Amino acid sequence: MTADPRALGELLEESQDLQADALRPTHDALDELVERNDGRRDQDHAANLAFHEEHQRSLRASLGATAILGAAGGAGLVAVLASAAAASSSGDVQILQTAASIENLAVSTYKTALTLPYIGGSAANPVVTKFAQVTMGQHVQHADAFNAAAKHLGGKAQSTPDPAFVPVVTKAVASLSGATAAQGSLGVVALALELENIAAETYVKDTTLARSTSNKALFASIMGIEAQHVSVLLAVQALLMAGAPQDISISSGTAAMLPSAAGSVGFPNAFYKTNMAAPAKQGAVK
Amino acid sequence: MTKRDKEVLAGTESDLNSMTRNLDELHHDVGMPALRDGVDAMVEDMQRTARSTSRRTFLLGAGAAATGGAMLAIGGAPALAGASTRRLAPMRDEAAAVFPPSDLKGDLAVAAVAASLENLAVYAYSAGLTAATAGKLGTVPPAVATFATTVKGQHQQHADAWNGVLKSHGKAAVTVTNPKLTPTVQSDFAKVTDVTGLAQLALTLETIAAQTYQAETTMLKATSAIGLSSSIQPVEMQHIAILYYVLGMYPGSQTSSGTPLAFNPTSMAV
Repeated sequence: MTADPRALGELLEESQDLQADALRPTHDALDELVERNDGRRDQDHAANLAFHEEHQRSLRASLGATAILGAAGGAGLVAVLASAAAASSSGDVQILQTAASIENLAVSTYKTALTLPYIGGSAANPVVTKFAQVTMGQHVQHADAFNAAAKHLGGKAQSTPDPAFVPVVTKAVASLSGATAAQGSLGVVALALELENIAAETYVKDTTLARSTSNKALFASIMGIEAQHVSVLLAVQALLMAGAPQDISISSGTAAMLPSAAGSVGFPNAFYKTNMAAPAKQGAVK
Repeated sequence: MTKRDKEVLAGTESDLNSMTRNLDELHHDVGMPALRDGVDAMVEDMQRTARSTSRRTFLLGAGAAATGGAMLAIGGAPALAGASTRRLAPMRDEAAAVFPPSDLKGDLAVAAVAASLENLAVYAYSAGLTAATAGKLGTVPPAVATFATTVKGQHQQHADAWNGVLKSHGKAAVTVTNPKLTPTVQSDFAKVTDVTGLAQLALTLETIAAQTYQAETTMLKATSAIGLSSSIQPVEMQHIAILYYVLGMYPGSQTSSGTPLAFNPTSMAV
């Protein structure tokens, strides 16, 4: 006899239709944004000016302390970054666009990975293939949600990948050329792990940066999903590194096959860190 | 099993144990200082943030509806229930009728309820481990035992974090399990006879915790309180992913029919 979770479920209302509820935060967020948009324009304008001025002050202070940039280089960088900040209409729009840029990069990375025989081909582990396909689809939905929220605030949709992380992905993908299936699988997992962690940490941080309650809810509904991707990738990475790819399977007997340490490798920290979070404006539309 | 198979498995276990030790060291090097900094920041932030005492959050519902509910005292060695054969006797307490305590308002009331949820998780995993040790759950895979032990420790750290905030404000730490959910968890736990049943119960508790923290991000006022809540939600979500994997299901949030979710719901938040 096993536990009957229905008893707990009876304590909780509206728990039957999880899919509808899952989408509700996004719908609510967008509805709220639409309702607030007109009334907030004046307020946003003042806030944007303050944000922009603060951004320039902090940037100058930072650059002033960085001798290596020198006067000419520092001034040039100030102009470039300041224009990026000014191009977007609000702090929330910028973090939403940055989030979309991270999602765009994740989508393109998984798309590329799925063309590899050991990820998406006949030689691939079916669990890994399914994970890559499902996760890519989820990142598409995340990008759409972030862009919809940005557009409802008067911003532009971000359709390009985060420029700061593109070289990292390009270099990693190039290194896969000529790799064996085992090497390549580990390389793809490591790259995906880095991107997923960046996404999760960025959104954890964004829940404290977003000014709109609806945007906080949107980030909160996605950060844990990315953390779950991290968890799965950590487990897969550990099993690959341990030479036990056969244990990467989904079946009722999976748990019995796993080594002891596999029970904890997927959640290394009790508190999710944010030191790898992308800067708020990094992926903003310029 | 061939000799080579055994060698591979031995290597697997050794390598994974090594990785786990490294991660644990990393956690204590990075995670714990970050936690202390986070709690300190939250305390400062909450002291600065003036808020209406009439503000209520969704979390208060988990306490306000607790009249007549049961809660369990969590001490150094929580009272444990053996699967099927032993039931915890609900500890009825006058304090259970008013939870969270009436002197806690706003974010502090949320912290109290969060601590009570974490205590409940600690209790459940402790009870599960005791039942497993007593042989009442049948064969327990090593990975499942490691999971329960590690997760229990993380929930204890979460409880400590919220209680640290309460104590920093001169309030008493919450040492009881959530009064609204405790009777049902007790009842369900009494029916657990195997690892699958325990994993299902744990999955429900982790889902409630994750969704509650998720909902908190829009309810809490202090930025650092939001930060603490948001730093815990993804960890509960990771527990959920591994629990689904243990149950032989897709390792991520999903509908009742098994469709993976791109956006986590909050319908089970308390």
